Amino acid sequence: MKDPLKDKLTSAFDGIQIQPADRNQISITANKESILSVLSLLKSNGYNHLALISCVDWIEEKRFELVYILSAYMEKDKHFTDMEKTNIILKTSIYREKPQFISAIPIFENAEPYEREIHELYGIHFEGHPRLTPLFLEREYKTPPFRKDFDTRKYVSDVFDPIPFVGKKADKR
Amino acid sequence: MQMIEMILSPLLALIIGIFFLGLSRKIMARIQWRYGPPITQPVIDVIRLFSQKSVSHGKLFNLGIIFSLAGSLVLVLFLPLAQICPLSGSGGMLVILYMMLLAPLGIALSGGESANPNTSIGISRKFILALGYEVPLLLILLALMTHYKTISIVHIVSIQQNTGWAFVSLPLLLSGIAYVLILPAILGIRPFEVVQASQEISSGPMAEYGGPFLALATIQHALSLFIGIALFVNLFLGGAGNLLIFFLKMLVVFVLVLFVNAALPRLRIEQAVKYLWRWPTLLAFIGMIIVLIVRR
Amino acid sequence: MDRNQLIKWLKAPAKMGHKYSLHAVYFCTGCGIIEVPPSITARWDAERFGVLPVATPRQANLFLITGYVSVKTLRAIIRTYEQMPEPKYSVGFGSCPINGGMYWDSYNTIKHLDKYIPIDGWIAGCMPRPEAIFVAVTHLWTLIDKDMADGYKRYRDHYQAYRANQEHALGKLEWPPLFSNETKS
Repeated sequence: MKDPLKDKLTSAFDGIQIQPADRNQISITANKESILSVLSLLKSNGYNHLALISCVDWIEEKRFELVYILSAYMEKDKHFTDMEKTNIILKTSIYREKPQFISAIPIFENAEPYEREIHELYGIHFEGHPRLTPLFLEREYKTPPFRKDFDTRKYVSDVFDPIPFVGKKADKR
Repeated sequence: MQMIEMILSPLLALIIGIFFLGLSRKIMARIQWRYGPPITQPVIDVIRLFSQKSVSHGKLFNLGIIFSLAGSLVLVLFLPLAQICPLSGSGGMLVILYMMLLAPLGIALSGGESANPNTSIGISRKFILALGYEVPLLLILLALMTHYKTISIVHIVSIQQNTGWAFVSLPLLLSGIAYVLILPAILGIRPFEVVQASQEISSGPMAEYGGPFLALATIQHALSLFIGIALFVNLFLGGAGNLLIFFLKMLVVFVLVLFVNAALPRLRIEQAVKYLWRWPTLLAFIGMIIVLIVRR
Repeated sequence: MDRNQLIKWLKAPAKMGHKYSLHAVYFCTGCGIIEVPPSITARWDAERFGVLPVATPRQANLFLITGYVSVKTLRAIIRTYEQMPEPKYSVGFGSCPINGGMYWDSYNTIKHLDKYIPIDGWIAGCMPRPEAIFVAVTHLWTLIDKDMADGYKRYRDHYQAYRANQEHALGKLEWPPLFSNETKS
């Protein structure tokens, strides 16, 4: 990562931590209030592609960790620059009780399906998202199924196992 | 005598058509280094399909497929199979030209009733393809009619029996080549398999057919294979004196067409029409002009 | 074709037709679909058994469910099965449709497929080799010979129970019942 960008980030935001995570990967941890401004600053400094938004459930620390993965588009007729090889992993934490967060759609429009998926699987409500309707799941779940306190075995034994077999097979069992 | 011929001719056409279907599956399998199904596989399929029940989508859905099959069967009556030609006195090539459109029309009526989007795409492709090959076909038939000074297909065959095949007589050579070029389109096989493209539009007009409807559609397909090749054999390869030679000529043409089918991928519909309206039409047009000049 | 075969053909042509002309609709639910292309192309050639992949369920009479079944695909599977004309045979391929396989505690995967549609035969394994498809086909032939491949009859007889199970898993179904209420049980 370019040093001027590091200076810009540390000078503009309080409590931001920047460390190299792996080869060609940089991990940035920011406060949840400043995440949109960090995203727009990174975008204006060349990291113009939002690859993924993911979420981690830290149940013991009572927080969700949202992970934004950013990279840079390669310009045509050029070799890879250092910046284009680099991925940025931007992390932030939010409270686990009644989780709410701001939508990143004003900055990256392709955040829409990722936020919809996270809302469906983790139950995080994104303010400013136009349609937080179900994307993948067919059934309705009381706890969103990707949370750590969702007991899949209990759910399966409660919902799918009581369904009876049909016909002769049912008489045998 | 004519009554016997009336029964015999469609029966022969059915047997030869179904045999060709089985043969095509076997030969395609051997070309692709597979063992292939038994040669009676289409018969087994048709027996199985007739014993199944299928949903119907309305009256026109039932009638259209019968209409299409009937059109093909009537068309067979106008084609001379060696010496057998029950309706030789009437019609001629103009009737054949009109009747060739009946089969697609029936399938279109029937498929349109089912309101399946794949079916509508298939039907529109079928008519666009028909539009593509009808133009060169018309020019070729005009050249033939002008050269032999008759519209009766029986006369054309009998003249060729005396003077040699039209395909090797010099003024009609270009028309013959044009006919060879459009033959895969008339038979609806690759590279012009756009109508029943099962990988893109799930077998097109056949998408809603099941059970007896699919059996009738299979028989109609067999008949259309027979008609396309028999027309070529009659018009350009001089027909035949007896049934065996006629069958052998058809077999040679069919196997050659199958090799084309095995070797080439499917064209898109606009590529197909572009091709059909360029090279075959050009050749047919030049062929017709040559015929007109020679005749004068 | 030997003499026994000929006698069978003359006695029950429809049954022999169903036996030797299995047009299959492959439902690509999971990893099992990887095994299907080699089995229908030059390496193993399913067409010599009369098994031919077709594009639409209306033309098919063999339904091969290859791989795990999520709740969302179950909806499509039921619709496909109900569209096939009778008699129809269904085969579950791989251990996932049998009892869940490695998805036995998944929140969104159906464990026993035969609770929702009748299955005539199973191919166990994770994944079964393509030869297993042919073993299954020859087994299906003997089942059809003995009139034991009666999944479609079971579906008709126990339709209310099957429909109740489907509604239990999927919530309300948006298509009308295939059979009306007067069929037994």
